[in-house]
Amino acid sequence: MADPSLLSLAAADGSPALYGLDELLAMAGERLGQEITPRTVRLYATEGLIDRPGKDGRRSVYGQRHLLQLLLIRSLARRGLSLTAIAPLAACSDGELLEQLLQLEEPSLHQVNHEPKEASSSQQQEALAYLHSLQSERSPSLLPLLGSPLSSSSTSPSPRRSLSSRSAGRSSAASSRWHRFSLAPGVELHLSESTSFPPAGSRREAWLQRLLERLREQLDSES
Amino acid sequence: MTPSLHFRPLRPAVAADGATRLDLLITVRSPEPPAASTKERPGLNLALVIDRSGSMAGSKLSHARKAARFLAGELTERDRLAIVTFDEEVNVLVPSQPVRDPLLFISAINTIDSGGCTALFDGWLAGATEVANQLDPQGLNRVLLLSDGQANEGLTDAGAIAAKVEGLTQRSISTSAFGLGSGFDEDLMGAVAAAGDGTLAQIESPKQLAVLYASELQGLASTVGRKVSLEISAKHDAGLVHVLNDLPQISAGNYQLPNLRYGQELGVGLRLQLPSWMPNQTIATVRLAWDAPDAEGRQELIEQLTLPVKPQAELAGLDVDPAVAEQLALLQANRERRLAIQELDRGDLLAALASLAAIDASLAALPQSEGVQRERRLLAEKQALMQQDRNLSRKRLRNESLRSSLNVWEGGDDNG
Repeated sequence: MADPSLLSLAAADGSPALYGLDELLAMAGERLGQEITPRTVRLYATEGLIDRPGKDGRRSVYGQRHLLQLLLIRSLARRGLSLTAIAPLAACSDGELLEQLLQLEEPSLHQVNHEPKEASSSQQQEALAYLHSLQSERSPSLLPLLGSPLSSSSTSPSPRRSLSSRSAGRSSAASSRWHRFSLAPGVELHLSESTSFPPAGSRREAWLQRLLERLREQLDSES
Repeated sequence: MTPSLHFRPLRPAVAADGATRLDLLITVRSPEPPAASTKERPGLNLALVIDRSGSMAGSKLSHARKAARFLAGELTERDRLAIVTFDEEVNVLVPSQPVRDPLLFISAINTIDSGGCTALFDGWLAGATEVANQLDPQGLNRVLLLSDGQANEGLTDAGAIAAKVEGLTQRSISTSAFGLGSGFDEDLMGAVAAAGDGTLAQIESPKQLAVLYASELQGLASTVGRKVSLEISAKHDAGLVHVLNDLPQISAGNYQLPNLRYGQELGVGLRLQLPSWMPNQTIATVRLAWDAPDAEGRQELIEQLTLPVKPQAELAGLDVDPAVAEQLALLQANRERRLAIQELDRGDLLAALASLAAIDASLAALPQSEGVQRERRLLAEKQALMQQDRNLSRKRLRNESLRSSLNVWEGGDDNG
């Protein structure tokens, strides 16, 4: 049933409790029984899955809402939901976030999805090998549309989403691959190939909006 | 508890002293379902692949979500489900997992909104990979592909897509194709369902989706044979002239039949040409082979066809079997719809109408059984529709023409 400690998360809602990143990670980690790295939190923030942290001087500070978002995202992700599917769920009001968390925890936390992976049959391997061959014979996929991945011209199609852009080119980066979009003379946007971005529609709009805001902040602080 | 094969000739004998044109119906009878609840249905391993391209926006997508929620609600923790959406990009919304908590699937389904183009093949590929990752050789492994559009991104050629789907069928994962609305490519969806050894459904209203999914689940649960083949070998100097059903051909004389389901009977019409025949001489050998759930390896059943031999003069006087005559005429009516479709594609509306009228005339000459009346009603409907909505009449004709060669869902039929 409703877990008192979880409810206390909500009760604290009105209070201005703020944590540093380490505290946030410790609280979430304890609750989930799973370590969470600063990198994960930063990724979620970049992807817009959790709200941007506040600032206390130069230090990033997090509140109850961040904690709720982080718990929900991790709980859903380990049940196998993709981040794209989770994004809208994590954008709900605090009350709804809590409600979702309670629903998820109720069935039982220990029954989390760890399917014993059966020894894969030869038929399975055959089917998978066949599908992989179809994957790789596909026309070099969406990427060319997009601006070529830079360092190499690998044919492996990105399973993630892609943009179609009018003008995009190559540049190289040491280890990761980047897509480069020329937006205006002298202005370029570089996107790591591993970045996933939302599909066209309201979510993409919101994502672009956040990027714009961030850019504005950075420009403001430069000047 | 296995299927059986029966031969029903139009006339019950062949000629001893001259050539015979032998019209014949082979019926494949699936066993009756076992007494209620003696046996649990095998676990299902499904991927639901949903088109979320721009054309799905609005009520179509909202019904698609609703039907997907319904599907998740109908499955149990013995079943696995993956949900994949595609527009020009593919997104594995929920990777394959047991349906322990439908709520989880439902929250994910609720996030589906509409996007851009239709990368149908890539969507199928992602769904197929989800199913393959969890392949259960004894269970039923299937991709359910729902689309309202023409494939216009990635691989788009119907023949090429079907060939790839077929390759996966050979590796124990079947594919059903569900076309929604008036914009999908009926030739592509028909080819995918045929190559996929699955169900073809054309639904005009997204409201029918939930009923369709229910019927698909029931169909899967009552499957007694998949990858079913029927091999007809004419013996001595007999020759196979044609098979009336448009069955996909695996090799010479070897045809793919739709999945066998409990209590179902399937008719295959054929014509053989025989020279003067000797008594007790085998005319043909027919071999039915299939994969059964819960059984290892290929199952098979072989029957020999022999018929009484009589003087040619006597043959003409023999009565035809009216039930066989009707079945053969209905199969012929399915097949001749293809001609009307070709004429429509050439832009020759009058010729297409004339073809339908000709089919109707041949049915009008038969005793007006319920089946014949229904068929004539469908034809009359198509004749009227062809002049108002050519696209819709073509879709329905394609659907009807495939009834004798694959599992075609007809739930949306009489209210269309």
